Amino acid sequence: MTALERIVTTSVVPLDFTYNYRVGPYLENYIQGLGRKKILGSKCPDCGKVVVPPRKVCGLCNAIMDAEGLVECGPEGTVDNFTVGHVAVVKGLIEKLDVPQVLAMVVLDGASVPLLAELKGVEPSAVARGMKVKAVFRDPTENDLSDLSHFEPV
Amino acid sequence: MQRKVAVVAQKQINSADVGMPRERMLYELVKSLYEEVGISRDDIDTFVLCSNDFNAGHTISNVFEDCPVGAYMKDETKVEADGVWAATYALARILSGLYETALVVGNSQGGSVMRPYLMMDYQLAPVYDRQLGLLNELSAAGLQAHAFLAKKGLTPDTLDEIAARNLADAAKNPDAFNGKAGASAADVAATDMLYEPLRKGHCYPFTDGACALLIASEEKAKKLTDRPAWIRGVGDSIDTYYPERDVVDVKSVKLAGERAAAMAGIGLKDLDLVELSAKFAHQEPILLEGLGLPADGGAASVSPSGGAFGAYAFNAAGLVRIAECFKQLTGSAGDTQVEGAGYALAHGQDGLCMQHNAVMIMSSEEG
Ligand SMILES: [Zn+2]
Repeated sequence: MTALERIVTTSVVPLDFTYNYRVGPYLENYIQGLGRKKILGSKCPDCGKVVVPPRKVCGLCNAIMDAEGLVECGPEGTVDNFTVGHVAVVKGLIEKLDVPQVLAMVVLDGASVPLLAELKGVEPSAVARGMKVKAVFRDPTENDLSDLSHFEPV
Repeated sequence: MQRKVAVVAQKQINSADVGMPRERMLYELVKSLYEEVGISRDDIDTFVLCSNDFNAGHTISNVFEDCPVGAYMKDETKVEADGVWAATYALARILSGLYETALVVGNSQGGSVMRPYLMMDYQLAPVYDRQLGLLNELSAAGLQAHAFLAKKGLTPDTLDEIAARNLADAAKNPDAFNGKAGASAADVAATDMLYEPLRKGHCYPFTDGACALLIASEEKAKKLTDRPAWIRGVGDSIDTYYPERDVVDVKSVKLAGERAAAMAGIGLKDLDLVELSAKFAHQEPILLEGLGLPADGGAASVSPSGGAFGAYAFNAAGLVRIAECFKQLTGSAGDTQVEGAGYALAHGQDGLCMQHNAVMIMSSEEG
């Protein structure tokens, strides 16, 4: 065997770290709100915009927002933008989906920025901007982000 | 600017699978540049490497790049973002007066080693978007493309035409690998649908790539070459996180372009060409609008090299755009040459839906 033939041309090196991040008080309150089937946002004291999910810094004007005193938004809203996914990206690789997945940017009633969520109960070809939709929660809730399951047409 | 600074030489390697480790790729690249210019590592005052720990798969990604580029025991620093930032950093180092020459070297191996879409997964908010699993580089691009077409009242045909033009241009560029001579909109429209309206044919190709630029002060540049390309202005801007930002009217591109033009003392409409890092077809007209140019570029030729469709290796990509501007301004762009190119703009991006944008304006005349 020559030296060249012994060369292993590719080594597969997975990196698989697990991080246990603290979500912080803003998202903590949001998740607990979902557990009560309520969608909470933070209202900016400077520009008055309501941002969902709540966070400390208003991305629109950089003002600091309070973790307490969150405002309730939705559960109904309007589709601002959407895409129909025919694939998923799993660990960086494209995988074809058997059933298309509609992803919608929903501006909840009372909110100023859209929330990205899955839209179900409608043919992908029938989805349109301006469509009225409402949040569907898992029942019973588990105090987890996934308590907000998806949206469906009103 | 306090001093005049120029790009003196460029070298690129772009491939779907370069077939060698990145250290070897960098060695071959930089050796060819040294030989062409007739210099050695002793002539480089500062090295600016541009690579990324996630892409390399280990910490301090530049640590094994020092030897192949000749930076060992020399002044060396690193940028993790796109190459335009690395070139800007090199410019700043020369402007400081402490250095006369800088070698900027960017690379990543998204063709054969790592998975480029993972890169964007790790830029997502870990406690929210990564938990939901809805956003990724392609779904975000699909949402941006849909928002763009809806706002402009356009059909996906526009995206097919943009991709086809870039692929055909890339076929004329020997430094690009993903060109397709005679590419048509129909070819692109026949590729797989990913996230509507985004098709596979609208996306940048996974690339193993590296690019080296030799940048020098006026005095040194004139000794090293008869045909430098002068750096006249730079600008960059970082916008807020997706999705609460307008991804069609991209403020950070506008700010970056305006800052660079003010520094160069020209108007953006004076540009003869722009080399854009449009990773997806719809990003080309979005970038042009941000720069205040018409959708066809107007007087400016748009990415005559084929842009990001010809090759897109993160970190190297922005340097490749500068290298293509250098080729144009020095009359060495071969079949892609824009006749009489006097002013050119190179663009680089990073982040979801072009959250960060940086540009560099260059000229053939010293100014
Ligand atoms: Zn605000």
